Amino acid sequence: MSADNEAEAQEKLIDLAANFYDQFQRGEIPEMSVPTRTKSNIVFDEDENVWVYGERESTRSANSVRGARKLLKAVYTIDFLEEQLEQDRSSTLRELYYLSESWDVDEAQFTSQDESNQLVEDLEIVSEVTREDFHMRPEESGAKVMGPLLIREQTNRGDREIHCQDDVGQGGYQIPNNVDTIEFLDNDADFVMCVETGGMRDRLVENGFDDEFDCIVVHLGGQPARATRRLTKRLHDELDLPVTVFTDGDPWSYRIFGSVSYGSIKSAHLSEYLATPEAEFIGIQPEDIVEYDLPTDPLSDSDVNALESELEDPRFQTDYWEEQIEIQLDIEKKSEQQSLASHGLDFVTETYLPERLDEMGVL
Amino acid sequence: MPSIQSTLGDEEEEGIAEELAESQRQISIAEFFEKNKHMLGFDSGARGLVTAVKEAVDNALDATEEAGIKPDIYIEIDDVGDYYTLVVEDNGPGITKEQVPKVFGKLLYGSRFHAREQSRGQQGIGISAAVLYSQLTSGKPAKITSRTKGSADAEYFELVIDTDDNEPEIRHSETTSWDRTHGTRIELEMEANMRARSQLLQYIKHTAVVNPHARITFKEPSMDEAEQFERAERADLPAETEEIRPHPHGVELGTLLKMLAATDSHSVSGFVQSEFTRVGKKTADSILDEFRDRHFGREAAWKPPGNHEKSNLARAVAGAVANKGKDATAAFGDEVADKVCSRNRVAHSELVDIVAETADEVGEDHDTTFGDTVQENAVEAAWAELTAERTSDLYGLVDKATSTRKDDEAINGLAERLAKRFEKGRERDRATHAELVEYVDRAADQTEEYDDATFGDTARENVVMEVWATLVTVPDEVPKVRAFVDDRDVASDLLEAMKETDIIAPPTNCLSPITDELVEAGLKKEYEADFYAASTRDADVHGGDPFIVEAGIAYGGDLEAEGQADVLRFANRVPLVYQRGACATTDVVKSIGWRNYNLDQPGGSGIPNGPAVIMVHVASTNVPFTSESKDAVANVPEIEDEIELAIREAARELKSYLNKRKSMQKRKKKQNVIASILPKMAEKLADVTGEGEPEYGDAMARIMNNVLVEREVEDGEVRLVVENHTSTNESVELTDIVSREPTNLSDGATAVDMDGEWFVKWSPTVDSGDEAVLEYEVDGEASFDVSVEGIEDAKLTTNTES
Repeated sequence: MSADNEAEAQEKLIDLAANFYDQFQRGEIPEMSVPTRTKSNIVFDEDENVWVYGERESTRSANSVRGARKLLKAVYTIDFLEEQLEQDRSSTLRELYYLSESWDVDEAQFTSQDESNQLVEDLEIVSEVTREDFHMRPEESGAKVMGPLLIREQTNRGDREIHCQDDVGQGGYQIPNNVDTIEFLDNDADFVMCVETGGMRDRLVENGFDDEFDCIVVHLGGQPARATRRLTKRLHDELDLPVTVFTDGDPWSYRIFGSVSYGSIKSAHLSEYLATPEAEFIGIQPEDIVEYDLPTDPLSDSDVNALESELEDPRFQTDYWEEQIEIQLDIEKKSEQQSLASHGLDFVTETYLPERLDEMGVL
Repeated sequence: MPSIQSTLGDEEEEGIAEELAESQRQISIAEFFEKNKHMLGFDSGARGLVTAVKEAVDNALDATEEAGIKPDIYIEIDDVGDYYTLVVEDNGPGITKEQVPKVFGKLLYGSRFHAREQSRGQQGIGISAAVLYSQLTSGKPAKITSRTKGSADAEYFELVIDTDDNEPEIRHSETTSWDRTHGTRIELEMEANMRARSQLLQYIKHTAVVNPHARITFKEPSMDEAEQFERAERADLPAETEEIRPHPHGVELGTLLKMLAATDSHSVSGFVQSEFTRVGKKTADSILDEFRDRHFGREAAWKPPGNHEKSNLARAVAGAVANKGKDATAAFGDEVADKVCSRNRVAHSELVDIVAETADEVGEDHDTTFGDTVQENAVEAAWAELTAERTSDLYGLVDKATSTRKDDEAINGLAERLAKRFEKGRERDRATHAELVEYVDRAADQTEEYDDATFGDTARENVVMEVWATLVTVPDEVPKVRAFVDDRDVASDLLEAMKETDIIAPPTNCLSPITDELVEAGLKKEYEADFYAASTRDADVHGGDPFIVEAGIAYGGDLEAEGQADVLRFANRVPLVYQRGACATTDVVKSIGWRNYNLDQPGGSGIPNGPAVIMVHVASTNVPFTSESKDAVANVPEIEDEIELAIREAARELKSYLNKRKSMQKRKKKQNVIASILPKMAEKLADVTGEGEPEYGDAMARIMNNVLVEREVEDGEVRLVVENHTSTNESVELTDIVSREPTNLSDGATAVDMDGEWFVKWSPTVDSGDEAVLEYEVDGEASFDVSVEGIEDAKLTTNTES
């Protein structure tokens, strides 16, 4: 852990509180403005090549009962976070939610975890400190990495050097919540492949794909946690490795790719820190469904809606995605990664991936 | 002098009046009273007492008002063992010995025969009934004390009514002293009980509401001391009313007969013009025409023969003339035929005129005379020609009036039979509307029977209407008044004629509404509420009687929040106590959707719930009641409509008040929540930042959109700042009480010394978002106490502790 980050986080929290304090002293109504976190308020940052929040802001003002409650909770949360940093401890988002029950003022307690999660996001945005630096952990543990990579991790029990093939079991190396506690020491990798499902990751590992192709296989596990995205970004930026994403062939999976590549709407304030704009999509592409004659499911109504909504999503407004989505709407079919097994268990590692990676110029 | 003691003569009491008069010849008045006491409001001891109080109080109020004195009335009920005594005193002008029997004694004494004026007296049979009731139940005379203005002493009388001949009699009189300088006191002893105490109290309280100009003192046996109902400030006597003559649309047959008997007019035209309001020469003529139509019937007017048959008519007329010379005769026949044929339709009376006119003209031309006999013959001959083709004329009318699906034969059958009716009917083809209806009915019945056709009610009505429209009013002189003064049928024709004639509404200066202002004042003084509203409608007319409806609403405060709202009903300033459920007022209150006005109304209809009083006053020269006991206003649509509009007017104000109150409550709630949050936020911020607690008062005031009053004191310089954070301009009145003399007051402020304390007064108007500053100086330590008026408390934050 970097003491610098902690001290800075602490300072920023106190600044935030001081801001409210000054508003009071000036006779002003305390308020806090944060960017509106909706699809219509994200804009493409040309410099960073990522999607960030636009200029629209929502103001939480003590002028209304709702706003006053929010600010009271914010101040209590600031107090808690500051204390946590002071004591060098950490907690999960869920713990924060439960912990609020112990606060002496009823009005300050959270009524749902969404509320506390949202407030932490607000504080991240306003203080420009990530929640990892607040020592707030998400619930789910980070996903796993397998590949020719040697790292050093700072743990509570001291620094550990770990090789992500030699020192780990079949499951791989567990990504810690705060990826910035990892230092990359050495690697033999040619590229990074992020894989959506656990089943496919296990298939790749069992088939020795990481070994054979010098690939760092990162398991996403559905929508990737921040730590996973941060790690991917660091692998790309620091080790100069190409990043590829391998998911199911349906609209929800494209969004997984989107959040790795362009950043998510909820954390657009951290896009620069989490998104890997250079990441490339392997598949399953709608055209693969046709080309490889994959077993399919029909598109449901919600799939169609999701595809149409993606057509309007600024993150997907590229020629490539528009074409792929149009194809899918046209064939009205979707396929999973594991449907490749219809051509045999080795088909994915021996035929599909090498062909796709070759096409993409990664191999 | 109390003059309303008995108004049995009023039209709508005529029923009883006549009955009473009738009865008197056969039975004693006592017997009659015994028989009819339920009608008169004396059916039980409890009710009898209430009625006696009502009559005496009405009497007292009228007596004082008529003399232009603000009423001061004292009512006392005492339990004296076997009986109760009722004492009612007023500060009226007092009455003389001669007037006493008239005023209190004679049961049927009524000076207001067909007077049209709003008066309380319509409400009951009068104080004399109470006198009689007391006499019959206790055997004691009525004890009356009266002092006229300016006289040194008061007079005391004991009065009984001789039940054999219904004559009042003073049994005893003497001079006495009385502390009132003028007024009248009546004491009645009667069999009674206090079971109707609540109605009695209600009656007195409601009387106080509706007579805000009166002071009423009331004491009954269960009270330790008398209850005082004070007069409302600025409540003047009701405006004097003017008596108006009856309106032609508002009289009944019996009244009309009496008026006919009493009038000095000979002609009907004179009669209607002099005895009724709103009848001038033109209206009288219209009434007369309607009267003629009913009394004489109309005359059928037939189509003249076509041009080609004109010569037949000319010949027929000429043929009826003898010895007038060939030329003159031919000219006469041709001229009559010309004149007849130039008209659309000709009735007999018109034919007579034509013939007479032609006789003059042709006679002059030919230097001869067409005398009466010649004219009569000529008319007869021409009329025969005119009536020869009734059937074809009627065919046209019937055809026009009935549907196109009727076949020719049926129409012809009806026309033929109708023609027969006219032929066989009255001379000159006259028929009243009723007769015409009968003609058509009979003719239609026969046509249905023989021609296998159907003529329904609508078809028949249409035929009657079509034919009646072609009939003309006859020119006959209507009978003189004296000719039908005893003839109910003719009088009934006249009555109907008056009702059918369009006549403008009666004048309204005969009414004296309480006025919305005083309705509100009346409610205010008797009900402790948070909100009051009242409305007075413009006058309207029902039957021939003008009326005005007023409504008032009181809400909140000390009013009973549980259960239904109180509905107060008044007619001509008198509370209606009984028969609530039968009253039009109650019906209207129930029919209104009170939820629209933010009152609770289970099921969306019925009397609303909540802390509310709804009062309705109907003032009229003739309030229609459901029964003789006059406890409930009858369901007359015109009156119901006005009641509804009056209530809605007041209710709209209630709604906006309740809305405002709701938003104030919401605001209050918001303030409470925020006021609890901000200090905690400030406290926590102090924790986090490690500094002292921040000053959150100003922020709070801004959040509340409040007006913030702050004080700063430094070296004897005092600044009071009024910051307006509301969205509107605010005018505040600020009073700062200072323990030392303030000097150098800034503009607009004044300081007054009051026993060593100085009252600094300042009334700034502060624009939205702006502030105003009051500055002054004090020498040395001083204490301050500021109070701020002109702003609702919820919107005001004072932060003036120095």
